[in-house]
Amino acid sequence: MDFKLPENTTMIADTARRYLKDNYSFDTYIAQLNESNHLEANRWQAMNDLGWFGLPFAESVGGYGGSLLDVCAIVQELGAALCLDPFVDLIVSPGKLLECANTPTSLALLDRIIAGEARVACGLYDRHAGYHVLNPSLRLNGERLSGQKHVVSDGGVADAVLVSAMSGDELVIVALPFDACDVERYRLLDGSRAASLTLDDVLITDEMVLCRGDAAKQAVSAWFDYLCALDCARMYGACRELYQATLEYARTRKQFGTTIGSFQVIQHYLVDAFIDLQQLESMLLMVSVKGESECNSERIRATSAAKAYYASQAVGIAQQGIQIHGGVGVTEELNIGHYFRLVTHASLSHGDREHHMSRFIQAGEKQNEVV
Amino acid sequence: MNLDFSNEEKEFRKSIRQWMKENVPDDIRRCTARGAMLDKNMQQRWERLLGSQGWLTSTWPEQFGGPGWSATQRYIFDQERASAGAPPTSPFGVAMVGPVLYTFGSEAQKERWLPGIQRGETLWCQGYSEPNAGSDLASLKTRATRNGDHYLVNGQKIWTTQAHWADMMFCLVRTDSTVKQQQGISFLLIDMKTPGLEVRPIYSIDGHHHLNEVYFTDVKVPVENLVGQEGMGWTIAKFLLTHERTTIAGVADIHYEINRLKSAIDALPTETDKQLAVRRLAGLEVDLMALEYTNFRTVAATDEGKPFGPESSGLKIKGTELQQRVSQAMVEIGGLMSLPWDNEEPIGEQIFNQASRRYNFLRACTIYGGSNEIQKNVLAKMLLGL
Repeated sequence: MDFKLPENTTMIADTARRYLKDNYSFDTYIAQLNESNHLEANRWQAMNDLGWFGLPFAESVGGYGGSLLDVCAIVQELGAALCLDPFVDLIVSPGKLLECANTPTSLALLDRIIAGEARVACGLYDRHAGYHVLNPSLRLNGERLSGQKHVVSDGGVADAVLVSAMSGDELVIVALPFDACDVERYRLLDGSRAASLTLDDVLITDEMVLCRGDAAKQAVSAWFDYLCALDCARMYGACRELYQATLEYARTRKQFGTTIGSFQVIQHYLVDAFIDLQQLESMLLMVSVKGESECNSERIRATSAAKAYYASQAVGIAQQGIQIHGGVGVTEELNIGHYFRLVTHASLSHGDREHHMSRFIQAGEKQNEVV
Repeated sequence: MNLDFSNEEKEFRKSIRQWMKENVPDDIRRCTARGAMLDKNMQQRWERLLGSQGWLTSTWPEQFGGPGWSATQRYIFDQERASAGAPPTSPFGVAMVGPVLYTFGSEAQKERWLPGIQRGETLWCQGYSEPNAGSDLASLKTRATRNGDHYLVNGQKIWTTQAHWADMMFCLVRTDSTVKQQQGISFLLIDMKTPGLEVRPIYSIDGHHHLNEVYFTDVKVPVENLVGQEGMGWTIAKFLLTHERTTIAGVADIHYEINRLKSAIDALPTETDKQLAVRRLAGLEVDLMALEYTNFRTVAATDEGKPFGPESSGLKIKGTELQQRVSQAMVEIGGLMSLPWDNEEPIGEQIFNQASRRYNFLRACTIYGGSNEIQKNVLAKMLLGL
């Protein structure tokens, strides 16, 4: 086995870290938090110039053929910087679904995403179906689509959306303009922008249906796993920074005439966090590779194990980070609480711990089926 | 990045698997499958069998008689050993005094002691802890006084695992009480048959006799049994703390335990019981995966010549915690079936019959070898600079 990152991945990670260090401070984050439009033109162009828009997609579909490992390297840094730029929501997420769908229409739309010309979001969740993305509550009856989508992450700016629906007992993926829906926009736990969409007998023409049936199930399942791996990367980046900040705080904060890091109970908390972080890194490396496996069972078991593990251990590190900081840890003015919100958010998007535990078990029982 | 074993490693696995299939004695395999403790005869037969292959000391450098395996091969060997239902080997000779001797010992000491360890013939025990020197090991008081060509040893050791089986003890003794605690300690090899040495049993909460007290009254130890110089004992003890951690997490044996437990789920009374057990096991499997991939990273790093340092203590802490949680899950999932203690015939699935003994036994694993709290103190100092 070999756990060294390929040189190219290291370069991507270094570039991302440097770019964000120079262009995205905690103040930038706080300012963006209060915006309803999260697409900041200069940085968006810069990310395009860095080659990020094409990186996640295969060369055969017009991308630059980056691996999940490469994309995780970027997303890890975005998490570490608390960056709210909608790179995942407007590029990776819709792009991956379109790439997985792999039809002429979907690939034409993917082209426009890679070129930075389209503002497309993914609408695969609704509160009725919860995390069960293979069985959404939206219904396509004949040519009419009705129902709701919730938590459609879009940076506040998408004008088109890929939605999933059931047509009889068949899963379909449909592309439609935001205009066709009743839209309510809001901010999410991590500060990112999202929308709820209400569809009332929206007319769906054949060319709006990107794919259906088993192909759609396969695409949504692979998309779900890809996004789960990115959740882990984002949580890892956040935990890494939060842990460093907490360690630094323990070394410098004085009470009872000495640094709080000299107290055994604080030392043990920090050692526990250090060890957990080490294991979280192992799980991230594991899922960055196996999250792209051709074998459904292997991919799903690896992804759901990682996401379930993160939902307990990464959340634990974030909670402990606040505890060690004490009162200042629960204030809006310090980054610690914001990391905590990010980690909590990422632990609940794309499946919580219980959902992934169930999926982990199911994937072990059903050889190579999507669940 | 590559998370697969190479073709050579896969071939190696195949050959070890085949050997295990043909050579692990049936009585030992059955004993492990029951979750029972091996007696001295079984333990020694197994170690001699490995010794005859040159595999008992698989962690040793080739020049001292190791088979020249990479860390990955050692890891694979351990996986195949555990999944074949064979027990781990006793650490005292192979993993502790052996490396001390080939690192710090004289030529004469190496010649005299290494072959017996390699062949699984000499059994060793570790004389470290004392009634008033547990976690605070450096405060130990057992005294060795130089008297011509020998030392006279007086004092008491405790928690000495397998002292009643052992031929030899490696022992930390105080040779100088005028210097700083750590500097007055020396490393002595003591023949267990020496007059004045008395072993008394301690029965532990699993109902078995593993532990002992060892009393020394004017025990004569030849000067040639001093390893290194006088006062080097503490350095040697610390060296062992970071030596060879390929399998310290116990991943292979945890896998074996989880699989044993899985195989017994069908014996549970209701569908709900079964579902809850499956869920609980899945949680343990996920945690094991995180431990295992961390272990893989240390193995790969070792093979690149960049072994993990003190950060591998994390493997010991997480590994022992997980061993305890799996053994607790076994008792709790077994429920009523886990209660009989000394019955011949299990009242249900056999694996639950010994589960409570094993659960009791494993309470010790977060204590021995430096309690997890002590490991955390060390990590806080060495790694976090606190």
